[in-house]
Amino acid sequence: MSGLGPHDLALASVAGDPGSPIHRRDPRSKLLALVAVTLVAVSTPATAWPVYAGCAAVLAGVAVAARVTPATIWHRARVVLPLVLFAAAFIPFVREGHVVGSVGPFDVTAEGLETFAGVAAKTAIGTVSAVLIGATTSFPDVLRALERLRAPRLFVLIAMLTYRYAFVVAGEVRRMRTAMRARAYRPRHALQAGPVGHAASALFLRAHARGERIYLAMAARGFTGTMPQAVPLRLGAADVLFLAAAAVPP
Amino acid sequence: MTEGQAKNREDGMHIPDGFLEPGVAAATTVLAAGAVGYGLRRTGATLDERTAPLLGVTGAFVFAAQMLNFPVAGGTSGHVLGAALAVALLGPWAASVVLAVVLTLQAFVFADGGVAALGANVLNMGVIGGLGAGLILAAGRRFLPRTRSMLLGAVAVAAWAAVMLSALACAIELGVSGTVPLGTVLPAMLGVHVLIGVGEAVITVAALSAVLASRPDLVHGWHGTPPVAPVSRPIVEG
Repeated sequence: MSGLGPHDLALASVAGDPGSPIHRRDPRSKLLALVAVTLVAVSTPATAWPVYAGCAAVLAGVAVAARVTPATIWHRARVVLPLVLFAAAFIPFVREGHVVGSVGPFDVTAEGLETFAGVAAKTAIGTVSAVLIGATTSFPDVLRALERLRAPRLFVLIAMLTYRYAFVVAGEVRRMRTAMRARAYRPRHALQAGPVGHAASALFLRAHARGERIYLAMAARGFTGTMPQAVPLRLGAADVLFLAAAAVPP
Repeated sequence: MTEGQAKNREDGMHIPDGFLEPGVAAATTVLAAGAVGYGLRRTGATLDERTAPLLGVTGAFVFAAQMLNFPVAGGTSGHVLGAALAVALLGPWAASVVLAVVLTLQAFVFADGGVAALGANVLNMGVIGGLGAGLILAAGRRFLPRTRSMLLGAVAVAAWAAVMLSALACAIELGVSGTVPLGTVLPAMLGVHVLIGVGEAVITVAALSAVLASRPDLVHGWHGTPPVAPVSRPIVEG
């Protein structure tokens, strides 16, 4: 039992220079541009290396312009490592094809290595582009962009409230874990997980009571079912240019 | 990577970008969008204006509860996925919506699960896990005597099945995409998740029995009622 794991608070906020030309773009253009880069990367054939290079160049350009450092990208991107390593453990060995070497009793095939390299490249591009969305666009802005792109309103509203309270409730989890540790809770196997469930139920009841208080507070402030926007979104010429510049080269 | 950070991610079920064929990603996105869209309509129709704050905070709860990890075997640990618990408390459709929200947040804020694979992840963990658990709970309500232990038994099966169904769907998508042969990925995913599912079942039963003891009115379908909107007085300070 430890910190927040991959969902660390410090990894959740906007990074880089908040005044950079990238950060100031309309969230819709950033979202569409970076998702477009991802879609291009994941939908090309595994060996289309020039396309991957183009995607990587766009991402590098965005990162430099937004002043998001490689260290930040690495910290936020390493959450995908387990599945990539899982794939690495299997793909080169289990694909049929021309054998280029062996590790112990298992043969490594050229086709397997090729597939793995393609998957790794796609995953790296997709993950870095998601990291750049997160680093240059706050989640509420992502949601406002999604709403303007016609995502369902109720979904966006629920997501806004989830984001608002995720870290409040996460703080409660951290305090509960500390309390459980302090009372010498050291589970050794899955069947001893019961107390975690009791913590989860206390957490739910608290969250539920909080939901009620939030509703009353929102109702008292004239909540009608939609979130008011302090600063309306504006899609300007610069935003469209950015979108074109980022999405076209790959 | 510190030990703790590695430990928290042993579920291995958030598919990153690049692991799925474009066709598989597109098909799962369409299915997930359809199911969540229907869930939103159902949720909006059956609950009142308090829905959004309640579901929003429940989403925060599921997000935070996933930080609670438990030992699986050989020094690795799994964490609560929360699908069956959300279904038992909110009903299957509202739970699918909440789980989809949590997965969207994880993809955009933490790059956990690919953006292009978001549809697949929502389908696996939100829709298939949620609706599978919902079906089992509904069958339990229909065919078992309405006692506390029967409910908890059905919840245990639903929690285990939700984890296994999600892992199964994930393995099939990876296999069909040709990333990893199905014959390899299927036993690997299911084998790991048999134990994670047991932990999930133990935790879900413990959580639900505690909710039954203190707020039975919040358990979906326990008295044949729709999900109850919160009462005005805070029961637990927090």
